[in-house]
Amino acid sequence: MKDPQQSNESIANNDGVDRRGFLQCMAWAGTGVLWMMTGGIMRSYGMSQLIDKTTDGLKKGLIIPSSDFSFVQISDSHIGFNKAANPDVVGTLQAAIDKINAMPSAPAFVLHTGDLTHLAQADEFDTLDQSLKSVKTEKIFYVPGEHDVTDNGKLYLERFGKNTKGNGYYSFDANGVHFIGLNNVTNHVDGGLGYIGPDQLQWLENDLKPLTNSTPIVVFAHIPLWAIYPQWGWGTEDSAQALALLKRFGSVSVLNGHIHQTIQKVEGNMTFHTACSTAFPQPAPGSAPSAGPMKVPAEKLRIMLGLTSVNYKEHDHTLAITDTPLGA
Amino acid sequence: MKQLTVLLLLTGAILLGSATIKPNTGNGQYKNLRVLPRNITSKELLGIMTDDIDDGLGVSCGFCHAAAADGHGLDFASDAKPEKKIARGMMRMTLTMNKKYFKVRHPLLGAPNLILSCATCHNGQALPVMEQ
Repeated sequence: MKDPQQSNESIANNDGVDRRGFLQCMAWAGTGVLWMMTGGIMRSYGMSQLIDKTTDGLKKGLIIPSSDFSFVQISDSHIGFNKAANPDVVGTLQAAIDKINAMPSAPAFVLHTGDLTHLAQADEFDTLDQSLKSVKTEKIFYVPGEHDVTDNGKLYLERFGKNTKGNGYYSFDANGVHFIGLNNVTNHVDGGLGYIGPDQLQWLENDLKPLTNSTPIVVFAHIPLWAIYPQWGWGTEDSAQALALLKRFGSVSVLNGHIHQTIQKVEGNMTFHTACSTAFPQPAPGSAPSAGPMKVPAEKLRIMLGLTSVNYKEHDHTLAITDTPLGA
Repeated sequence: MKQLTVLLLLTGAILLGSATIKPNTGNGQYKNLRVLPRNITSKELLGIMTDDIDDGLGVSCGFCHAAAADGHGLDFASDAKPEKKIARGMMRMTLTMNKKYFKVRHPLLGAPNLILSCATCHNGQALPVMEQ
């Protein structure tokens, strides 16, 4: 069995990126990826080029491009989960919060892309709420995961449904970027795929109508809006209709959760990105009989959990997406 | 006499312990339960559904539960989908096998003392793979 330390070292120096293909968080364990997007063209920088391993901070003298604002995405906290894959999901969520609070400048807000809780229980929502109170940010935006709506979304909407439409979708603007939170988990289709539904698609069309093509768009939803692995329900049945509405925009970023690992894809003007969980990892697509909590050696757990930070530079309309694992 | 006193005290302690360690009882909020206890709590029910059935079979709620007539979510009480009837049979089979063949006293779905669970045979697949 490989020495985990050695594996991370060799992986960290391999910064080759296939922009047309998929990236997997596991292949980048112990490192992060900085993405810069300019005019629809993605450039990536391996974090091994940026991070000083002795200090775990930026290399001396390195200048990260300034941004006008930044935000963080966390996902799949699964508060209430207590099985072998991670018996302390509150602890690992707190580790993610500590990472956020240690950032050189506080993010403008945090997006939580669903599966806040494991069983949609009131005490689980309470615990999450208590934990997130310590995040140094102005606001937290949520979309539900399928674990949050096992009561058809009743408790979730009581807490997070204010100022949302239908079963909890909404949009807002920040620094010239238009953010759209979609719910693709309350209604179900065969195979466990996500489903947006005609009402929400109609709302999306109306929501986008007044926007110019140059408006940067960020869409966030729990289940991936692209077909990562439909056999496991890792896709959304009617996402093509939503993506068609977004096609005219010059810069679209789609942020999802659900699969508990980082996978990215760039297609024309659209960048798709899934975030790691703060609770437990899941297997790579097709590498196990099914999706589900994956037990890993204790020393590897925090490497496979993480959060995503996004820096936006208004002048260039660029969005830089960085994944940070909880452990080195 | 001393032995009888000790026996009576022990018996009293056991009875008192059983009385105070009652599981939380639900408020009977769930309709059309035929295998699971009618007073099951939300946490217990969703734990079975999520950790045993969903993960054990690699399915989501809509695999057994029919869509709600109003188009919002699922009608959990409905028996419209045949998979739900099959699932009940599977639950009964699981409990029987645990009791009969593995001598589990008072087997309960979702309980940690079960020897056999959904995942034992299904291993993340809705239809267990049959080896030829």
